[in-house]
Amino acid sequence: MDKLKAMIKQQKKRMALLVLFALIAGTMVIAQAYLLVIIIEDAFLGDANLTDALPWLGILLLVLLFRTGSTYLSGRTGVKIGAHAKGEFRQSLLHQYKVTPVQASITGQSGGKVSILMDAVDEVESYFSSYIPQVIQSSLIPLLILIVVFTQHVNSGLIMIITAPFIPIFMIIIGMQTQKKSEEQLDKLASFSGGFLDTLQGLTTLKLFGRARKQKQTIEKSSLGFRDATMEILKVAFTSSFMLELISMLSIGIIALEIALQLILFDGITFFVGFLILILAPEFYTSLKELGSAFHNGQSSIGAAKKIAEELTESDNEITWGEKEFTEVHQPPNLKLNQVSFSYGVDQFHLSAIEASLPPYSSVAIVGRSGSGKSTLLHLLAGLLPLSEGNIFADGSPLSDYKEAEWFSKLSYISQHPYIFSGTFAENIAIGSTNDASREAIQAAAEQAGIMDLVQSLEKGLDTRVGEAGRGLSGGEKQRLALARAFLNQPSLILFDEPTTGLDLKTERILQNSIRKLSENATIITVAHRLHTIKNADQILFLEEGKLAGKGTHEELVASLPAYAAMVSVQQGGTA
Amino acid sequence: MKDLAIVTKLMMFEKRDIFLSILVGFIAGIAGVGLFAASGYLISKAALAPPLYALIVLTSTVKLLGFTRALTRYAERYFSHRATFTILSNLRVSLFEKIEPLAPGIFQKYRSGDLLARIVGDIESLQNFFLRVFYPPIVLVLVFLSTIFFTAFFSIYAAFVLFLGLVMTGFVVPAIFAIKQRRIDQDVRENRAVLSTDVTEYLYGFRDLKVYQQLESREEQLLQSSGQYIKEQEVEGISKLFSQSLNTLVSHIITAIVLGLGVYLVANGSLEGVLLAMLVMISITVFEDASPMAAFPIYYHDNQRAARRLFQVVKDDKTSANERNLPSIPDEVPSVRMDNVTFTFEDEWRPTLKDISFELEKGSKTAIVGPSGSGKSTILQLILKLYEPVQGDIKLNDLSLASSNKESIWSMANVVLQENHFFFGTIKENLLLAGDDLTDKQLTEALQKVKLDRFSLSDDVLEKGANLSGGEKQRLAIARALLKKGKLWLLDEPTSSVDALTEKSIHECILRQAEKDTLILVSHRLAGMEIMDHILVMDQGEIVEFGSYEELMGKKGYFYEMKEIEKNLL
Repeated sequence: MDKLKAMIKQQKKRMALLVLFALIAGTMVIAQAYLLVIIIEDAFLGDANLTDALPWLGILLLVLLFRTGSTYLSGRTGVKIGAHAKGEFRQSLLHQYKVTPVQASITGQSGGKVSILMDAVDEVESYFSSYIPQVIQSSLIPLLILIVVFTQHVNSGLIMIITAPFIPIFMIIIGMQTQKKSEEQLDKLASFSGGFLDTLQGLTTLKLFGRARKQKQTIEKSSLGFRDATMEILKVAFTSSFMLELISMLSIGIIALEIALQLILFDGITFFVGFLILILAPEFYTSLKELGSAFHNGQSSIGAAKKIAEELTESDNEITWGEKEFTEVHQPPNLKLNQVSFSYGVDQFHLSAIEASLPPYSSVAIVGRSGSGKSTLLHLLAGLLPLSEGNIFADGSPLSDYKEAEWFSKLSYISQHPYIFSGTFAENIAIGSTNDASREAIQAAAEQAGIMDLVQSLEKGLDTRVGEAGRGLSGGEKQRLALARAFLNQPSLILFDEPTTGLDLKTERILQNSIRKLSENATIITVAHRLHTIKNADQILFLEEGKLAGKGTHEELVASLPAYAAMVSVQQGGTA
Repeated sequence: MKDLAIVTKLMMFEKRDIFLSILVGFIAGIAGVGLFAASGYLISKAALAPPLYALIVLTSTVKLLGFTRALTRYAERYFSHRATFTILSNLRVSLFEKIEPLAPGIFQKYRSGDLLARIVGDIESLQNFFLRVFYPPIVLVLVFLSTIFFTAFFSIYAAFVLFLGLVMTGFVVPAIFAIKQRRIDQDVRENRAVLSTDVTEYLYGFRDLKVYQQLESREEQLLQSSGQYIKEQEVEGISKLFSQSLNTLVSHIITAIVLGLGVYLVANGSLEGVLLAMLVMISITVFEDASPMAAFPIYYHDNQRAARRLFQVVKDDKTSANERNLPSIPDEVPSVRMDNVTFTFEDEWRPTLKDISFELEKGSKTAIVGPSGSGKSTILQLILKLYEPVQGDIKLNDLSLASSNKESIWSMANVVLQENHFFFGTIKENLLLAGDDLTDKQLTEALQKVKLDRFSLSDDVLEKGANLSGGEKQRLAIARALLKKGKLWLLDEPTSSVDALTEKSIHECILRQAEKDTLILVSHRLAGMEIMDHILVMDQGEIVEFGSYEELMGKKGYFYEMKEIEKNLL
């Protein structure tokens, strides 16, 4: 809500335009009524013929043009404000996601974020394109009409003033009722609305059990149940419009009666005034009713704006970077972890006080059960998550002193499920390097990662499209593609999340060889799932529930830590 | 067009509500016109100082018309919405009847999640068909024609002008807009798709983009496509607005013409002056109902697309009609055989299975192992005739599946898939899928066998089993299969989320019950393979090894190496 208001404040000029157009439209409504009455009166009570009326008719056409024109322009301005707001929202959301990033992608909320960036932002539009212009028009026009009516005939003005408040009052009362009613019906609605999708999704299961044909009744029952529950809510809404319509009709009726009586019995007003009021009265009440429905329609976009606002306030520590450059560009950094801690929030998982020293060219294995904090530690080491306490030192200076680009160009991160972007093989590999990689370099990287024979079997070779819009790759092939990115990058620090299962033997072999080759010139830190990786590591960091339970070589830990010994011995019986 | 005709036909089951909606809609429209006509007449009459009783009659009429209008509007909304929701229900049932024989084959053609959401969404959007496309024009035309008829009593020319207005606002302006809208709509859709891809890649690929420092350029690209999309939406919004304004303008101009015409007729004496205000009021009011017609093309276009997509899904199938007439596979323990089977998924670029041949005798127990994506599950799916091979033949008991009826295969099979569906309801209801005549005792026993005895039969299950863990869902699915008296067991990684100890005991339980039956188990773990008669090792859609555990271990080939790696795994 506040976000929406802030957005409006930014658009002062356009908002002023909206008010201006509303004023013009209101004036034209009145002018239109005025002209209609003049022309009719002249023909009816006077004895004007068409030629007398023509100038008036000409002006009338002009007024009509202005009336619809200003409504159009007001809507158009609203659409422009909406478009601007959508762009702003998307940009600030994107900025937010950029600075508070990896946590979200670790906790797997990417799907929800996609929907906010796409749908919620789109929904916000109607707030600006229809709600705001409508509210401005519907509040200004009745006001103008009221002023004119008062100047012409006070009694009618009084009737309008007395009856008008009933419309918003009824709307509020009935709005609250609908809310209550829909809350009562909510459970029913939820259980009915999913019925059809539930059955469709379970169709394979139903068929395998020979049950599918019987589901017809279930679908019918849930659909009709949904209908009845919805109608209960709608009935309240319809009653509300019924009452509003009735109020406005009765009010118009009272005004008409009053005018007629004045005309005949008391001769208090002229035909001109009476007719003018009679034309303006419906415009008055219609505007008020529209104001009500505008409020109703505004609700959904306010809901969407709330969602966006929540995203924007979700705050994380930003990861900060400095200006320092590495003195040795191609050498692995000497890493020291000093009381490294991280927390996902109060009462949530946290990693605490990790102390370790990871010298250049060493190979480090992070070991622990699932949920012990292995990936979190790897992300912290990569500079993808902000530390909540402690420091990571690289060559004696805290990581946050270095330039972001300096740091990231040193490292490659090979995850269990590398993301394949929509594009060609070559483009996907080229992502590994910030410089424009030559075709030869890409090809060499693909060869080293053992993906070249697949590429060569394809008609378009490296220019074959993969990813979303292209060809599907198996898990092993994706893994090899990720390796090719690393080969292209030639990192001095490799962070590797070792795959658990499901790889083919070829990829297994390639993976081992490649990692060995890559680590000749680099420090390698692996979240390890394979015993030989662990045994070959210079140093093992053994995590238990977010704490560093021990560090050392395999032999040292087996001898000194029963928990570690238990863990690495389980699978050696081959039963796990 | 033809697709919407099908919808219309389905709609006609609700004749009563449709008729009522049109009737009360008509009364509401006419009452509105009458109301303003009467008040116009009233004021003119009043100016001429008529007898008081005439005035009282007139004002009462005005009140009565006002009340009628409000009441009939209520009734119109009530009937039309009730009709709409009933029509939707009919539509769901009818579509289900069409999809049911085609499933699950059609899920293969489309990425299945997408298809289902689309079907549900398309049906939802068809609720606008009756509500905004079908009956409002009928009411509009009826109200207009009656009004024109009434006007014709006073002035045939005014009636003609009104008719012209109807044609313009009801048909010409919306039609022009419809053509423009179609092209804009296409652009908006395309731009949305581009943005959606950008957003998805940005968020899902975030880590890789960040590490490889591609985030900035991607962000720029994303903002650019967002800008493009917003611009197209803006064009759409403004064009919609323009058409609405144009429609209003036309109706205003028509009123002005009626007025000018009225003045002319009054002046030359062919129209009574007292009727002039009435004519103008009629013209102002009758066009109020025409303004929603500006949105008509949008709804019409939307519904057309929804209907086309819906019926396309069910249309492009030829096989299902004959399917039920095919002979059944006899319900006895089967042998399973594949001869040179090749299979390619429709949206895939390479075969998932390449020239597969094997034979499994009656009552044998076989495990299929291999890396993920090697085609293990596809073998099971082909045996179930969920898909049909591109080449080659599959035989159960020497009967070719191609010429056998699917349902007979399913009724003899005990199946646990990787994804098992559970329905909103209770544990009992979900287990009873296996057979209505099962007793509570049998159901409880089945739960015990899979070590789910802490659940009671009356426990709730949410949609898709959302309140159950992965392991619990798998075990519930196994319990369901255990209750079914099939003679062919097809199990696709049934215990991948279950701990090793429980897995072992469930395996034993299944093998005990399936002692005489034929069983095929897809497994990602290699433990416990000793008890199987055959092990079939797959890699990249091909069988790389086939034999007993001892044979394969002795051979020191693919299986042996996989076993070595697994030993090594934490």
